[in-house]
Amino acid sequence: MKIEESKDFLVSSASLKDVRTFSREVFDKINLPQDQKDELILAIAEAAQNIVKHGYKDIGETNDRMEIKISLKDNDLEIGFFDKGKAVIPENIQHRKLDDIKPGGLGTFFIKQIMDAAVFKKDQKEWVNHLVLTKKI
Amino acid sequence: MSYKVTEEGNISTVFLNGEIDMDVTEKAKEVILPIVESGKEVHLNLKDVSYMDSSGISVLIESHQKALENDTKVIVKEVSKSVLKVIMMAKLEQILNLE
Repeated sequence: MKIEESKDFLVSSASLKDVRTFSREVFDKINLPQDQKDELILAIAEAAQNIVKHGYKDIGETNDRMEIKISLKDNDLEIGFFDKGKAVIPENIQHRKLDDIKPGGLGTFFIKQIMDAAVFKKDQKEWVNHLVLTKKI
Repeated sequence: MSYKVTEEGNISTVFLNGEIDMDVTEKAKEVILPIVESGKEVHLNLKDVSYMDSSGISVLIESHQKALENDTKVIVKEVSKSVLKVIMMAKLEQILNLE
């Protein structure tokens, strides 16, 4: 099976619902258990939230858009996130320790739990950040 | 997200409805935290919450911690299957008061 769909969204917390709707519509075309679809949608939503929350921290409202591309070839799922926010330094990304009970810091942990890999690529000239999440499904 | 609050004695029950994400966490906190700070016991009913992400989980943690500070408690009730899965993924089922 091969799928490749992308959509762009305003960088805003109000877009997160649209991100989930887009993801649901794509995964509805793939034969997967609903639990796994829900997990993948959560991972995508968390990555999009990280762009809004961290990539645009201190910038405030913006007209910038972010793009999400979901690709499936055979059993290899790849989800790309493209944004023009602050450049991410991958070494600085840390999820909080689970025994440190405090609000926040869970999104990246969820992504790592759900996906096989999360890698920032430097292969896009028109974007600042390109995050690629992959999972064998 | 929409909500309803009912009161009975020293217990306030907050019924949350819909999807809890970053876009609505401030609204959720504005509803829940003042009740907790007043010292009332809060029952958070999540039976109609269809989706919750890490931001929603943060609201649960903050409410729980605020309750401890105010010598009261927050009980999370009727958690939907999808939300329970996220709570368990965060390994919070032993930390939060779930019923």
